[in-house]
Amino acid sequence: MTAITRMWDKIGFNQKLAPYVFVSPFFILFLIFGLYPIGYSFFMSLFDMRLVGNRGFVGLANYTRLFTVDEFFGTAVINTVILLFTGSLLQHVFAIPMAIIVNSPRVIGRHTFKALFFAPFITSTVATVIIFGMVFDHNFGLLNWIIENVLGMEGIRWTARSGPIKATISILLNWRFIGFNMVIYLAGLQGIPRELYEAAAIDGAGTVQQHRMITLPLLIPIIFFGVSLSLIGGFQLFDEPFVLLGGYDTVGGPGQGGLTIAYYLMILGFKNGRLGRGAAIAWVLFFIILIVTTVNRLITNRLQKK
Amino acid sequence: MKKMSISAPEAVKTGALYASLAGLAFVFFFPFYYMFIIASHPRETMFRTPPNLWFGGALWDNVHRLIFVQEQVPFLVNYANSVMIAVLTVVTTLFFCTMGGFALAKYDFRGKKFIFVFILSTMAFPPFLNIIPFYRMMVAFGWINRWRALIVPGMANAMGIFLMRQYMEESIPNALLDAARIDGLNEFGILTRVAFPLAKPGMGVLAIITFVGSWNNFLGAFILLPRLQSTTLTVALNTLNAVSFGEFGMVYAGTAIAILPLLVIFFLASRQFISGLTSGSVKG
Amino acid sequence: MKSVVTAHKENRMKRGFTFGIGMVLALVLIISSCGSPRGAAEPTLEFDPDQTYNLTMGTFGDLEAAYSVVLRSDHFRSRFPNINVTFQSADFGGHHDRLTTQIAAGERTNDIEALEVAFIALFVEQGDALLDLNQPPFNAPSHIADLVDFAVAQGQTRAGEQVAIPVDIAPAVLFFRENLAREAGANFRDLGSWEEFIRESRKVTGNGRFAVPNASDVALIPLAGGKGGWLDAAGNALEPRGKFMESLNLVAAVRDAGIDADLNAWSGPWIESFANGTVVSIPNGAWWGGALRTWVAPDVTDWRVTYLPGRAMSSLGGTYLSIPASVPAENRAAAWEVIKYLTTTAEAQLLTFDTIDAFPALTTTYDDPVMSEPIPYFGNEPVRQIFADVALNMPSQIVSEYDRTIESIWGSIIGQVIEGDLTPEQAYDLALRQVRSQID
Repeated sequence: MTAITRMWDKIGFNQKLAPYVFVSPFFILFLIFGLYPIGYSFFMSLFDMRLVGNRGFVGLANYTRLFTVDEFFGTAVINTVILLFTGSLLQHVFAIPMAIIVNSPRVIGRHTFKALFFAPFITSTVATVIIFGMVFDHNFGLLNWIIENVLGMEGIRWTARSGPIKATISILLNWRFIGFNMVIYLAGLQGIPRELYEAAAIDGAGTVQQHRMITLPLLIPIIFFGVSLSLIGGFQLFDEPFVLLGGYDTVGGPGQGGLTIAYYLMILGFKNGRLGRGAAIAWVLFFIILIVTTVNRLITNRLQKK
Repeated sequence: MKKMSISAPEAVKTGALYASLAGLAFVFFFPFYYMFIIASHPRETMFRTPPNLWFGGALWDNVHRLIFVQEQVPFLVNYANSVMIAVLTVVTTLFFCTMGGFALAKYDFRGKKFIFVFILSTMAFPPFLNIIPFYRMMVAFGWINRWRALIVPGMANAMGIFLMRQYMEESIPNALLDAARIDGLNEFGILTRVAFPLAKPGMGVLAIITFVGSWNNFLGAFILLPRLQSTTLTVALNTLNAVSFGEFGMVYAGTAIAILPLLVIFFLASRQFISGLTSGSVKG
Repeated sequence: MKSVVTAHKENRMKRGFTFGIGMVLALVLIISSCGSPRGAAEPTLEFDPDQTYNLTMGTFGDLEAAYSVVLRSDHFRSRFPNINVTFQSADFGGHHDRLTTQIAAGERTNDIEALEVAFIALFVEQGDALLDLNQPPFNAPSHIADLVDFAVAQGQTRAGEQVAIPVDIAPAVLFFRENLAREAGANFRDLGSWEEFIRESRKVTGNGRFAVPNASDVALIPLAGGKGGWLDAAGNALEPRGKFMESLNLVAAVRDAGIDADLNAWSGPWIESFANGTVVSIPNGAWWGGALRTWVAPDVTDWRVTYLPGRAMSSLGGTYLSIPASVPAENRAAAWEVIKYLTTTAEAQLLTFDTIDAFPALTTTYDDPVMSEPIPYFGNEPVRQIFADVALNMPSQIVSEYDRTIESIWGSIIGQVIEGDLTPEQAYDLALRQVRSQID
């Protein structure tokens, strides 16, 4: 008993050792649960791996074919990048001001607004799809009704054509995750000492100026988190286009309008049974995300040092 | 007179602010509201055009059939399972992720940068095909039909550690930690007695994200917990939808009452943890 | 000055990197050496009527609703008091995702698994994930002779292994509203061709009324529902060209004629269109009759059933039952008894039909009196005889592991033809190019 207590004290009071102990659960769990699937996927990507059975080593063929014979991969990359900007990153432009507004004690009913804005994140997919079906239906939908009757323009074929499909997915993504990002920023705002604003107000800074000079710089760690999450989530976008475009019945809708990298990965793996090719996409995607998040990290570091 | 001329644009601004907040709230909340509209209609009037905008009279009937009449899925058992699994996931995730995040935010140690980047990198790996080897592993461990299969692997997840690190980096002053050390607290004590209370807003957000993620996880629960008695609400509702043969009212009622607690929990949790600058959380 | 520390760090990182690569390679070796041991080689034990068997069965959609009734019936209980079956059910997507995962992981599935036809080739042509039921002790050929031929053929691999047994089928017919057609002076009964169909459709179209909900509703009909037949006998994709051009031309012609309502499948307005007179017809599988009667349009009295234009013999889906290779030897024989019971006894087939409108695969039931009964909902006409006739005359289609790949490519292509973004010729060429980039 005493030996354990003594050891406990030894670790407990050791400032050098403590952080390793604190992060160790992650590595223990990663070794047990994370490493095998990742290693397995690397293995698969080098073989002609089918859903059932392995047809042998193919070297890098699963990778090279993506950039040579494959008719879909290029489109998937372009779609994903477009949706990344219009769907995932755009949200932060809305989420930060919204967080600041509902965080202000002067706004009456801010707790209610907060909950209402967060609702899309927890609304069931079934209801979401039904509603979006109603809103975006090209004959009976609310949006086309407004476009035709209020704006006097021709209705848009929201889910039927390649371009509009991307607009639909972007709107759906913004709708679904703005509240989620707002909540992340709300938490970040709690860490900013109130005194800073009071001091700035005394110096004669207006509200907008205060937020530009205090809120944004101090929110950088959280912005980095939010944007990283959006970059990763945006490159791995799957659910929304998949549900909207009929899942495996099409290859990302007419003209591959909504085919994202992850959607294509799942088609190759689960629909076509080509696990090796799917795994190769997973690794290409991994390196793309790694590069983009690294750039994001470097930019953030520079901003933070200023 | 002068006062009037200042307050008039001020009033317009306030009006515009609330109008846009209300407009946004409507757009964001309507589908959630609509879930209950669907749930309150009998099958015959459920999908009318133009769509129903107000509650039908069948909500109680739908709920009644769901809970007391149908025998295809043990709805209340699944409900309890979902609550238990979500709560256990949240508690363990909060503990391990805050701990990990704290180390990366507030300690200097060799390999810190590498460890942080490594953790970030694991997030970048697309998880889509992992389900196949992961399933194999769960079978080998004998964890099929055990809740731990859903809880343990993600207890110390990269996203949570990342979030908590980012949150604590700016919001916990180093001076406070040093003061605690001088007071004789060991590092574990500092973690639980200083870091945890100060990280409340971050933990609040992590709790909400984790709870929602656990609650809505379908494929994982369906594959890892195949037994109807031990599985979750999401799986049970999917099964019910399949086997009840067109009893949409009952299924949608189940969906609605499955989601409602999430909003309530969010409302309470956000009030408690991430509301306004009232708690005097941090003294710079 | 580049410090010693940095150099040291770099060195350490390099070493870490090498170590990481080493770990991964080691892991790859371990994994590859494991392989995935399959139970296919295990000898299957004979069925023992004195032993109690507790089996599990994976089903999708409303199948459990029917099979649970069938397996609780006195007829089954008296024959097999020693077999108990519990179900694992989900929607179509969830069920097949789960099954795909377990099969790919080489792990245990349920003892009996229900399958959609396109999965059969995927699981089998790429490996031996499903048991060949032609082998002893199953000896399928001696039990399934009365099952409808085309469906039995689709349950076979190209090498002739019978890996799945059809339990229900969906012969395609044309559903139409007689009174609305008559008012417009149109006739949909026994049309000679799709040209005639379009001609009659023009008569009913107008004033917010259309012939079909969406042009895509006719897309897969000329391809026998798209269930197989994507390769010709020599293994060439999308051949013969004429067959596929017919499909594309038909879709384009329907949209050009303006006879489709341009509704999104399964949206609210789509469902309503069958009850409120927006649409007058739809080609669909036999099960659709059950949906119309019970909840889509229960109050409409003039829905009727006739052959597809030109008496096209087509099928839109159907269900198969199989025993995966991972099922332990001691359960296989009992699983086979359950499959045989569900597929080859008239009692089970008719009870399933009665419960969920899944049309029997067992041809001997077609002579049963219930098959010639007048159906009140369809104007007291004996419509089941039409279903049976289509089933018996369906040509067999070649099934391959590429079917699913081509099917989804075709799904996207049809959308572009409907929107007028591609002419049928362009669409065919593009589809062919895309298919060739996927298969090898």
